[in-house]
Amino acid sequence: MPALLEVDGLTKSFGGLLAVSNMSLAVSPGEVLGLIGPNGSGKTTLLNLIAGTIRSDAGTIRIGGEDVTRLPNHLRVRKRVNRTFQLVRMPPNLPAIVGVMAGVMYGAEPKHYRDAEGAAAAILAELDLLPKAGYRLDQLTYIEQKRIELARALATRPQVLLLDEWLSGLSPGELEGGMAVVRRLAAQGLAVILVEHVMTAVRALCARVVVMNAGLKIAEGPPTEVLQDAEVIRAYLGDEDV
Amino acid sequence: MRTSLAIIVLTLLVAVLATVPWLVSDYGLGFMINLICYVVLTVAWALFSGTTRFVSLATAAFFGLGAYTVAMLIKVMPIYATFGVALVAGTVMAFVVGLVTLRISGMFFVIFGFGLSELMRELLVWWEITQTHTMGRYVFVPFDTTLIYEHLLGLAVLVFLVGWLIRRSRLGVALLVIGDDETMARQAGINVPFAKIAMFVVSSVFMTIVGAVMAPRFGYLTPNFAFNPLISFQVVIMALLGGMQRLWGPLLGVIPLVLLSELLQVRFPFWYSVLLGLIFMVIVYFLPRGVTGLVEDIWTRLRRLRSSHSDTAMSNAWGGSSLSLPRGVAGFIEDLWLRLVRRQPTGES
Repeated sequence: MPALLEVDGLTKSFGGLLAVSNMSLAVSPGEVLGLIGPNGSGKTTLLNLIAGTIRSDAGTIRIGGEDVTRLPNHLRVRKRVNRTFQLVRMPPNLPAIVGVMAGVMYGAEPKHYRDAEGAAAAILAELDLLPKAGYRLDQLTYIEQKRIELARALATRPQVLLLDEWLSGLSPGELEGGMAVVRRLAAQGLAVILVEHVMTAVRALCARVVVMNAGLKIAEGPPTEVLQDAEVIRAYLGDEDV
Repeated sequence: MRTSLAIIVLTLLVAVLATVPWLVSDYGLGFMINLICYVVLTVAWALFSGTTRFVSLATAAFFGLGAYTVAMLIKVMPIYATFGVALVAGTVMAFVVGLVTLRISGMFFVIFGFGLSELMRELLVWWEITQTHTMGRYVFVPFDTTLIYEHLLGLAVLVFLVGWLIRRSRLGVALLVIGDDETMARQAGINVPFAKIAMFVVSSVFMTIVGAVMAPRFGYLTPNFAFNPLISFQVVIMALLGGMQRLWGPLLGVIPLVLLSELLQVRFPFWYSVLLGLIFMVIVYFLPRGVTGLVEDIWTRLRRLRSSHSDTAMSNAWGGSSLSLPRGVAGFIEDLWLRLVRRQPTGES
């Protein structure tokens, strides 16, 4: 199947620090690509670049063959790419459903105000969150916050979904549920990039992982092979996650 | 059913208000003009600042722009033409100001708005002294107090209608989200600068037109009078006092403060400013959510003690009761009303 998301030669530096350097990767519909690497290796920066949260210095990003590199954040959302943030970002003072409604109304399949509440409620129901629709972020548990943010991302009808440590910090039971959600989304044909430190999840969900270190791609392949790669072990050395 | 009833009641209310010029004394009409002038300004202010939480002190800049445009042009064109020019000038200025300033936030935006009205005042003073050699302009036109009142009433109806429509639109939700978390707003697909500028223009145009309509009321205008910064501050305080969660919330801030100013200004003109300052300090320091935020909190706690029942999700979701814009007096009355309405059918012990 042709790749849905193609990243080619993507580069971003902050001052003298090369955060992402000449990064290339591709994700197909239905695939969950693991993106791993030690802290500070540039994983989140790469997600920021793909989502359009920040602009790249060089390289191209294509979604379904279309170049979206120069599109601002909100227009890229309408080209069917969305993300969750490492630290959950939802409007702190509004009922949870309002953020989801915003996604429904301004996403790739924009809906009128009249229909937005129903559509948002349907998305919340899919994630078992309907009873929490009227709650503010600080009234929700950690796992509920993470799911609400995913609902907001899904509300814009993405085909490329970027999950930034969406499975981190969960209890074993919650992790099972979260992994089931990711599997279901992939089965629906979404191309998912999973930035994750939880290796059990990476092993279970991803057929292929990309390993980053200091802004560079140092390995790519099936998780079992890649995690035995000498360079990967060296990059991770001392990191308690492996 | 409820909507049509509300429409009938509101239409009747407007009809009654429209007959006011024939019912009250000249003094009463003057008071009503002042009141409705501030109603339109405050509701228009809350349209933008209430949702996006960008506190604007540019009200005087737009009010003054409208008033002074009329004052400068009244001798060369008919009054409605001057209103038209004011409308265009207000739109252009709001657009340019929006483009320049809405990237800056917080305190910088506040200071900019204040600076803008002061800058315009100083520029016009300079212009009138050095270029036109006029200090102050007369606006003598056959546009009497009754006409001014009816025009302001029309603007009030319009500003409520526009606000009502926006609250039930994509733009309304977008602005709420922007006010809460801009990064998330972008990630939901919202064109943040566009939404902010659009709302800023709508809000500012109302302020400009109010200024334009008020110009004949003043009769004699100087830049210092038209661009009076007190207007900007009063509008902020009125909106915060009344609360902005509901469209009509600002009314409950405007009415008491206009009454207060009317009562005090006759005999103790200086006390008004002092009281205004005190009210502002009280709101900002102790009641950031409006006068009734405190009362609300107590209510919530009492209710929790009495019953562990939680509202069903959907009734709570977008009915607005868990929105936390500054709710002010309006929020208090609303909660009271809900309690009264709910108590009867359920009959909970």
